Amino acid sequence: MSGTLTLPAPAPHRVFGRRAARALRGAAGVLLLLVGWQISVPLVGMSSYFYPAPSDVVASFTDLVRKGILPVYFADSMERYFAGLIAGALLGVVFGVLIGLHRTVAVTLSPLLKFLFAIVEVAWIPIFVVWFGYGWKTIFLALIYVVFFPVLYNTLLGVRTAPQILVNALRSLGASRWQVLCYAILPSALPGIITGLRVGAGFAFRGLVFAEMVAAKTGIGYLIFEGTQTQQTARTIVGMVVMGLTWLAIDLCYLRPLERATIERWGLTVDAEQRT
Amino acid sequence: MRLRLPLIATGVVVAVLIAWWGAAWLAAERKLAPLGTLGGDRGSYRVTLDFAPERFHQLRLQEAGRLVEVRDRTVFMMDVTPAALHGIAGEYWVDSVAKWDGK
Repeated sequence: MSGTLTLPAPAPHRVFGRRAARALRGAAGVLLLLVGWQISVPLVGMSSYFYPAPSDVVASFTDLVRKGILPVYFADSMERYFAGLIAGALLGVVFGVLIGLHRTVAVTLSPLLKFLFAIVEVAWIPIFVVWFGYGWKTIFLALIYVVFFPVLYNTLLGVRTAPQILVNALRSLGASRWQVLCYAILPSALPGIITGLRVGAGFAFRGLVFAEMVAAKTGIGYLIFEGTQTQQTARTIVGMVVMGLTWLAIDLCYLRPLERATIERWGLTVDAEQRT
Repeated sequence: MRLRLPLIATGVVVAVLIAWWGAAWLAAERKLAPLGTLGGDRGSYRVTLDFAPERFHQLRLQEAGRLVEVRDRTVFMMDVTPAALHGIAGEYWVDSVAKWDGK
């Protein structure tokens, strides 16, 4: 007889009820903030340029959608973001695997990578503008640069900590180097890659907004910048709100499911929400 | 399936994009119908918006042809190809498109 006590899983309606209660509490907090903000506007007594009300922000959002500005800016930002994220992640994984598996490559590239890692993406944007002009190419390269390093270093960590027993087992069964890579090293490194991707995705999102402020004429970052330049501060806040909601959606729809499918599935972390 | 949500999200995005492009194409066909057959030559047109154009709209329209003048809600353009005109007419913030004799 086993000494292990196994608790039954909670009924689906109870899980849904708990999630709904949590969502309602979160929504109530946001609602409280909005009400407090709206009430504070007449008390502060400043013009809408300095202190726009939530109603001004909603009106500005509606205006931006009606005039076709927000959909185009949002689409341009997302196009740049995902293109830079995917390209940067692919390069990070490839270089992480190469450096992790080949000592010669590691010795050759490590000093250069450490040097480049210290240079923030912001410092590259002016030179990218000189080389490639304002717009898509500059922002794309800046995002690749931002995503590359977290994915590279986490992939490298994952490759170097792949269980040697698995590698030895495959080799003893006659597996080729490619098979060892595909069946032992990459699956072992996958949690590290996903962690790097999550970090890189966050850095890229922030980097996108800054790059668009400096080197673009469209995009959410440009909207945030242009709003204050044209004394339409409500538009700046619309940009900030769209940023926040977009990141929440990306995290909910892509990053967390990827984490659950890899890291949590293999028991390497516990979702903090499970403890609350 | 653990990756069901990303697949659903991607599917929704693709569906929205396809619907958007489809609606834009239909809107362009409707707005350009009164102009008849455009042929292959560049032409001059009056593009009327639902509001006074901002810098964003002027930049978008400049990609399609030469912006000559902006009067209230109307933008006067020259050297616009039929394909570019179709693109402009498909924008939901464009109210109507008409030929302009250049005066």
